[in-house]
Amino acid sequence: MIYYVAAFSLILIGAYAVLVKKNMIKIVLGLSLIDSGVNILLVALGYINGKTAPIFSNPSLKAEGMVDPVPQALVLTAIVIGVAVTALALTIVIRLHDHHKTLDISKIRELKW
Amino acid sequence: MYFDPVLMIALPLFAAFLIPLLGRVSKEIPKYVPVVMIGFNLYESIMMLPHSMVKPIIVIIAAWKPPLGINLTIGALGNVLALIISLVGFVVAIYNVRFVQKEPTEKYHMLYMLMVAGATGMVLTGDLFNLFVFLEITSISSYALTAFIRDRNGAEAAFKYLLIGSLSSTFVLLGIALIYGTTGTLNMADIAEKIQHVDSKITIVALILLVTGFGVESEMFPLNGWAPDAYSQAPTAIGAAFGGIVVKAGVYALARLIYTIFNFQGVFFFILIMGVITLLIAEMSAIRQKQLKRMLAFSSIGQMGLVLIALGLATVRGVEGGLFQMFNHAMIKPLLFLSAGYLVYYSGSKDISDLDGMGRKKPLLSFFFAFGAFAIMGLPPLSGFWSKFIIISETIRGGFVVVAALALFGSVIEAVYYLRVVGRLYFKQPNESEKTKYVHASAILAMSVLALVVLFAGLFPDMVMSYLKPAATELVDKTAYIKAVLTAGL
Repeated sequence: MIYYVAAFSLILIGAYAVLVKKNMIKIVLGLSLIDSGVNILLVALGYINGKTAPIFSNPSLKAEGMVDPVPQALVLTAIVIGVAVTALALTIVIRLHDHHKTLDISKIRELKW
Repeated sequence: MYFDPVLMIALPLFAAFLIPLLGRVSKEIPKYVPVVMIGFNLYESIMMLPHSMVKPIIVIIAAWKPPLGINLTIGALGNVLALIISLVGFVVAIYNVRFVQKEPTEKYHMLYMLMVAGATGMVLTGDLFNLFVFLEITSISSYALTAFIRDRNGAEAAFKYLLIGSLSSTFVLLGIALIYGTTGTLNMADIAEKIQHVDSKITIVALILLVTGFGVESEMFPLNGWAPDAYSQAPTAIGAAFGGIVVKAGVYALARLIYTIFNFQGVFFFILIMGVITLLIAEMSAIRQKQLKRMLAFSSIGQMGLVLIALGLATVRGVEGGLFQMFNHAMIKPLLFLSAGYLVYYSGSKDISDLDGMGRKKPLLSFFFAFGAFAIMGLPPLSGFWSKFIIISETIRGGFVVVAALALFGSVIEAVYYLRVVGRLYFKQPNESEKTKYVHASAILAMSVLALVVLFAGLFPDMVMSYLKPAATELVDKTAYIKAVLTAGL
């Protein structure tokens, strides 16, 4: 249960940062917080109390004693994607800062509908 | 005779990461890698077409049979879309050969290949999480390509696109987590079979999350705020590729969700209404635009609105019309973008008002633009007419007369703003300023291919429809799809 609470609080904190903060670095941080929240949620979905990681190092470990490995594989992929998005976002923020000399997103509005 | 369909994803991915190395050998090689690789994809998707029309091709990867392993499921729909994506990708790759002059060109070609590979993967895969991964490959390379021109606006458009795109992919991931948590599977056919036993409160939340997530790539209102900026600030060829490739893959994912995976009747009406709103708002915004590329971007959103209306009808004929519209849009919008790119270049400004008299100075380019404009408005001999005709007559038959009237109204607005541009091209006095640089042969070749396809599809719509019918049937009746996947390993 605690994992789900943690996951959703991370998602909400991240969403708050993305929606409310004006500083672009904080927005990017918020995005990666949301990512972490979703990842924890995924791992928590596959977790079964008292069971361990599905690594065949100990011969006495049976399949019944393992947690679901699929969400862990998904999370690995999702972490990599998250890193790529965060890195790209920060690159774009750097470039925006070069052009506009500010990190305040409300001051950058040259493109409009 | 076709090769293993996995190569359609694996080879472009491999080649994309090989490009920087090849660029060290010679500056010339990276330009031609996308042409060769996407040409291979084009060959593959044409060769697979007769097989997938009869029965979905299931590719089992690493001997993990469905529903356990990740598998490619190439039904009629996936194959038709792969064909559209490869065709547009191939044509734009030809255009790119001479178009991309700005450094770093090899990165441009690499990102372009990744984008096409990701979109191809999205339409071929049979696994929900795999769909998410390919969505991310497509969208990350799209963000980077939007910012390719290193100016202020490019970065701003890319940041907007990245924000909305990565939020939407979080929604997709949450939806996948919910589905996996309740059904215990990620194979789309398997989910479709098991989801009816799941509490409908959970499935509706998952549906909302996933539709929101994929709605961004498919330009559904109100999630399409990125589109006008990204289309107009990205390099011209990329704007063309967004309309022909990225959005098509997004709409495919949306259609797969609402038709195959979930089993809600209410969602079709929702999609129908969203389609109408998308169409009207986009057309009304397009008519107010002063810049040519922004106008084209809004028109692209409007076209997608029409596709959503067709998908919301949930009849075989309606979906056929929607697919035909997607095909038309995928051919015509790149044609418009590619010719507009050169027109903008010659006139020296992005504004429509500076295009006066280009028809006399640049007759060939203006002809291509006018041809595309007439085709997308739906002038009878060209292909845009047939798709609009089918969608609107199907809407009336479905009893949504008001929707049909609104869609027609949108088409009228569309005709107004396209004719305004075409009129300026031909019936105004040209400005004095003159740039004497000729259009590259590769660009002419690319535009001619697209124009010929549009003309051909307009003259022989039945032939195109004969390929779209199995694709539409696959969507509306999902039992054959599910059965083909789940019995593949036996």
